[in-house]
Amino acid sequence: MSEFLFLRNEVAPAMIRGVWMSIKLIVPSAVFGLVIGIITGTLRVYGHAVLKSVANIYVTLFRGFPLLVQLYLWYFGLARFGIYFSPYTAAVIGFSLCSGAYHSEYIRGALLSIKEGQMLGAQSLGFSKTQALFSIILPQAVRRALPGCGNELIYLIKYSSLAYMVTCIELTGEAKILASLYFKYMELFLIAGAIYLFLVSIATWILNHVEGWLAVPGFEPPRT
Amino acid sequence: MHFSITAGLKAVIEGLPYILGGVWVTLVVVVGALFMGLVLGTLLSIAHVYGNRVLRGLTGLYVWFFRGVPLLVLLFLFYFGLLGALHLDLSPFFVSIVVLGLISSAYQSQILRGAILSIPEGQLKAARAIGMSDTKAITFIILPQAFRLAIPGWSNEYTIIMKNSAVTYALGVAEIMARANHVAARTYQHFWLYLLAGFIFLILTYAGTKLLGLLQKRVAIKGYAR
Amino acid sequence: MKDSAMPANVPVLRIENIKKRFGDKEILKGVSFELNRGDIKAIIGPSGGGKSTLLHCINFLTLFDEGHVYLNGIEIDHANKRELYAYRQKVGMIFQDFNLFDHLSALQNVQIGLVRVKKIPKAEARERAVAELERVGLKEHMNKYPAELSGGQKQRVSIARALAMDPEVMLLDEPTSALDPELVGEVHSVIQKLAAGGMTMILVTHEIGFAGSLAKEIMFMDEGVIVEKGPPRKILYEASQARTREFCDKIIHFHHREDDQE
Repeated sequence: MSEFLFLRNEVAPAMIRGVWMSIKLIVPSAVFGLVIGIITGTLRVYGHAVLKSVANIYVTLFRGFPLLVQLYLWYFGLARFGIYFSPYTAAVIGFSLCSGAYHSEYIRGALLSIKEGQMLGAQSLGFSKTQALFSIILPQAVRRALPGCGNELIYLIKYSSLAYMVTCIELTGEAKILASLYFKYMELFLIAGAIYLFLVSIATWILNHVEGWLAVPGFEPPRT
Repeated sequence: MHFSITAGLKAVIEGLPYILGGVWVTLVVVVGALFMGLVLGTLLSIAHVYGNRVLRGLTGLYVWFFRGVPLLVLLFLFYFGLLGALHLDLSPFFVSIVVLGLISSAYQSQILRGAILSIPEGQLKAARAIGMSDTKAITFIILPQAFRLAIPGWSNEYTIIMKNSAVTYALGVAEIMARANHVAARTYQHFWLYLLAGFIFLILTYAGTKLLGLLQKRVAIKGYAR
Repeated sequence: MKDSAMPANVPVLRIENIKKRFGDKEILKGVSFELNRGDIKAIIGPSGGGKSTLLHCINFLTLFDEGHVYLNGIEIDHANKRELYAYRQKVGMIFQDFNLFDHLSALQNVQIGLVRVKKIPKAEARERAVAELERVGLKEHMNKYPAELSGGQKQRVSIARALAMDPEVMLLDEPTSALDPELVGEVHSVIQKLAAGGMTMILVTHEIGFAGSLAKEIMFMDEGVIVEKGPPRKILYEASQARTREFCDKIIHFHHREDDQE
C-alpha cells in the first residue's frame, strides 16, 4: 500500500474519529469543570463554614491525586462496587472534577484579590450582597482568573489523551492502535502530536482574544 | 466484589511494602526529570533572553512543541517511535526521565525567563561596569538572583511532574501507580489500592513543596524580595 | 419611608446612642446627633477617634452593637433587607479611597446602580449618569476607566455615582485625604456646589478650614464620643474642652506655619 493511500484510507479516518472523540471529551469537561470551579471557588470564599471545608477538601484531593489515579478510581475502582461507567463517562467525570479543582483555586484567588471596598461601594448604593456579587465582584474576578483558568483549559486538551488509559479511544488511542497495527509508531505519534499542537495553539489564540475583549485599562492581572 | 472495607484494608496492608517500593522509583524519575529540566531550562532561558533572533526563534519553537504535545503522546513517540527509528534499546525508566525532563525544561525555561526579566537592568550594567564579561555577569550576578526568584515556580513544577510521573506507568515503569495496579489485579481491590496510591502521591507532593519552601527560606537574602 | 407625610420638624437623619466595639476595644461609646434638611455638619478629631467607623455604622456597612438610626423619623431595621437597601439609596456614601468599581468606566460606575438597584431602563440610566458626570465636570472623561483617572477625578465620579441614586443625605468620609494636595481643590469645589444646592451632609475631614467654611456646626470627636459641638468659630478658636482646644490649636498652628512658608 502506497504512503498516500495509507494516509487517505487508514490514517485520515482514524485521526478524524480520534479528534472528534477528543473534542467530545474536552468540551463538556471544560464546561462542567468551569461550573464546578466557579461554584466551589465562590463557596471557599463566601460560603458557610461547613460548605467551605467540604470544598477545601475536594480541592486538596482532586489537585493532589494524579489525574491518572482519579481516572482509574472512577473507571476501575468504582466498578468493584458495582458502579459501572462507560469509558467515556468515566473520563468526562474524571476530567471535570479534576479540572474543577484547579479552576476553583484560580477563582478563589481572584475573588480574594478583589478589594473589600468594591463590596462596600456597591452596598452603599443599595446593592444586596448577591447583587453585588453578580454585577461587581464576579465580573472582576472572572477577568483576574482568566489567565489561570485559560491555562487549565489548555492542560485539559493535553490531559484528554489520558482517556486512552481507561480504554476511551480518542486521538491518542486511535494513533496507538493504528501504529501497533502497521508498526508505524514514529509517523502516527508525530501526526497525533501535531494535531494536539494545533488544538492547543487554536485554544491559546482564542483565549488571548477573549482576554483582549474583556480587558479593562489598568485592570490587567499581573502577567508573567 | 462487594463493598468491603476489611478486604480492601487487607489488600492495602499486604500490598503496602511493595507499593512503597515504588516511591523510590517515582522519586528518582521526578528528581531526575526536575534536574534535567533545570539544566536544559536554564540554557534555554538564557538563549531566549540574551540570544539573537534565530536562537530566540528556536527556543520559542522548542517551548511551543513540548508545552503543546501531551505527555502520553510524547512517551509513546519517544519509546515506540524514536527508539525504534534509531535502533536504540533504552529502558522505559530512562525514557520516562528524559521525556518528563524535556517537557519540564520547556516550562522551567519560562519560569526562569520571567525571573531573569524581573531583575533590574542596572544589575547587568553594574556587572559590566566592573569589567565582567556578559557570561560572567549572567553566571555570577543574574542567575543567582533569578534562581531565588524562581523557587516558587519550581515548587509548582515539582508538584506537576510528581503527578505526571504516574503516566509513565503506561510504559511499564514500576512506579507507585504500576505497583498499585499489580496488587489490584491480584486482589481485586482496585478502589482501595488506587486510593492508597493517590494518597502516597499527595504526601510526596506536600512533602516536596514543604522542602522547597525550606530551601527558599535558607537561600533568602534579607530585604531581597520581589 | 414615605417622604410625603413628613412633618417639617422631623430631622432627616437621627442617630441615637450608637455603640460599637471591636474585640475589647470600644470604638464608639454612645454617639447621638441629628441632622435637619439642608444641615451640613462636619466631624473632626484625631485619627482612631471613631469618625470613619461612625459613618460606616450610619450606613450599616459596619453593624453597631447598640443604638438606633432614624431616617425621616422612621427607625431603620437593618434585618429587613428591602428596607436597608432602600435606606442606603437615600444615604449617599463617599469613601476615603473612592471604591470605584475597577472594571467599569466612569459612566458605567454611575449607571450601574441605576440599572441594577433602581431598575431604570438602560438608556434612561445612561442619560442620568451623563448628567451627573457633567455636574461634577467629568462628562468628557466618562468613557475612561478608574485606572485612567486621577485621584480627584475618581472621587468626583464616586460623588456622581452617589448623587445618581437621589440621596437625601450624603456621608463624606475624608473625601480628600487620599488625594495629592493639588487635587484637593477640585473635589472641594464639587462639595461646595452640593452645599450651595442645599444637600444635607455629614463631612468627616481633617481639613479644618474647609470644614469651617462649609459647615454650620462642627463636632469634635475623640475616643468614641462627641466631646464638643458648636459653630465653627467657637469650636476652632474658643473650645470649652481642653481636648478640643489642644487638637484645634495643633492643626491651626500647623496650617499657619504652612502658610508662612508659602
